[in-house]
Amino acid sequence: MSEDARATTVLLVGALMMRLAIGGAYAKYVRTGMGPLLLVAGILLAGLGLFGVVRALRRGGRPADADAHGHHHGGRIGWLLLAPVLALLLVTPPTLGSFAVSRSAAVNVTSGGKVFDALPPGRTVPMTLLEFDERVEDHRGVSFGAVQVRLTGFVTPSSDAQGFRIARYQIACCAADAVASVVRVTGASGSRPARDQWVTVTGTFAPTPDRVPELRAVSVAEITTPLDPYE
Amino acid sequence: MAAVLLRPVLTGLLKHPAAANWATIFVAITIQAMPFLVLGVAVSAAIAAFVPPGVIARMLPGRPVLAVPAAAVAGAALPGCECGSVPVAARLVSIGVTPAAAFAFLLSAPAINPVVLVSTAVAFPDRPMMVLARLMASLVASVAMGMLWIAFGRDDLLKARRAPDGDESGRRLTRFLATAQHDFLQAGGFLVIGAAAAATLQTLVPRDLVNSIARPGPISVLVLGVLAVLVSLCSEADAFVAAGLKQFSLTARLAFLVVGPMVDVKLFALQAGTFGPRFAWRFSLATFAVAVTSAGLIGWWLL
Repeated sequence: MSEDARATTVLLVGALMMRLAIGGAYAKYVRTGMGPLLLVAGILLAGLGLFGVVRALRRGGRPADADAHGHHHGGRIGWLLLAPVLALLLVTPPTLGSFAVSRSAAVNVTSGGKVFDALPPGRTVPMTLLEFDERVEDHRGVSFGAVQVRLTGFVTPSSDAQGFRIARYQIACCAADAVASVVRVTGASGSRPARDQWVTVTGTFAPTPDRVPELRAVSVAEITTPLDPYE
Repeated sequence: MAAVLLRPVLTGLLKHPAAANWATIFVAITIQAMPFLVLGVAVSAAIAAFVPPGVIARMLPGRPVLAVPAAAVAGAALPGCECGSVPVAARLVSIGVTPAAAFAFLLSAPAINPVVLVSTAVAFPDRPMMVLARLMASLVASVAMGMLWIAFGRDDLLKARRAPDGDESGRRLTRFLATAQHDFLQAGGFLVIGAAAAATLQTLVPRDLVNSIARPGPISVLVLGVLAVLVSLCSEADAFVAAGLKQFSLTARLAFLVVGPMVDVKLFALQAGTFGPRFAWRFSLATFAVAVTSAGLIGWWLL
């Protein structure tokens, strides 16, 4: 790589990181807490790239000192950094969808053995799919009582005769370590939502013989993809 | 213009769920590793620019048998990835440090420095023992390789040293920035390869095949050892990829983390260029065997 190409690549990566961090799009790929870290890294990289660009411009095409001494360990490998940059600038890969649900390890909620207090009666409780599954495992879901809960997830394919399944990933660091929680939704009127459609469902827990956590829905609303798509 | 032509093609591809899944994981691994990459190259460039190279060498004991473990532990003081430790090890040899100690340092530095250990801890938030296991297995393997070199190593395998680099002059800040840029492009480029490989594994490999490889036992340890060699990850980023390879046992992933910083395709090229190919392939084969064994034993004990 020539010196100006190297500096421009670093500058591009830095600018893109800043854009992702400021615009919030990074939440599609990594844990939300990483935003400030990404911003700092982006600023540092952009600064480093700017320094290189200015230096290359000042030198005006003459080879860098290091090259004159026969250093060639820069190599062409740096070009590869443009691959994620291009991917993000051109198409913005979507949040992790239902394709990976069956491929990721299933959440093993039985190993946690959490014990939950009963839900407060009288209002609808918003809940993560993970907590729903954990509550189902805790004494077969006694903590639900008759309280309505609200779940948000995307539709994932299943062979169920009735209803459909929704899923949502938990991520520890980034989408590569995603693990899905799945809940079956029954009792909804109307047609089954399309695969990967995000929905908010409200309803009550229903015990099932096949141990798939099930929500008997009173309402299903299609929504746009949430800003923080992972739990 | 290429971008204009590419866009519809890529957009069409992303309509396929598998391609979209690949792209998301690929981008996620890359973005996730960036802050740690930046931290790593900043510290390593600062050391290259502001710390005199002789400082570490003067701390070593005179006898090789003592110098090897000391050099292996001293590796913790060089936060950087393997691309940075090869030139340092070469310099240690050239200023008269026994090669066995320089090689112990070469192998341990990319694996046991604080930056790598911190990113390992971040990548495995629920498994703090992974950090300890990585530290111990890497130290054991580095010291074992140093001792093996004392017993069987032949200095005639080493290429004659070239003259020292001549660019010690120049302003320190400029050297710092130039080194940081070089290290970032180098490590970042290889990180992209690793992210693509990991995303491909997660997307394409059928579950039953992965499960058959991923069952507990020595084969899966060997498989991830080989994978670490092939994907040539920077040690500052490999823990995140290992965390994503969750079809495999923790011991197998430990082998990935121990082998990766010591033997891989990129490191082989660097070593062959610095010390000569006759040295590099013997050294890499031996290191692979030692690293996999060390990871297997430590993993069996700790994880």
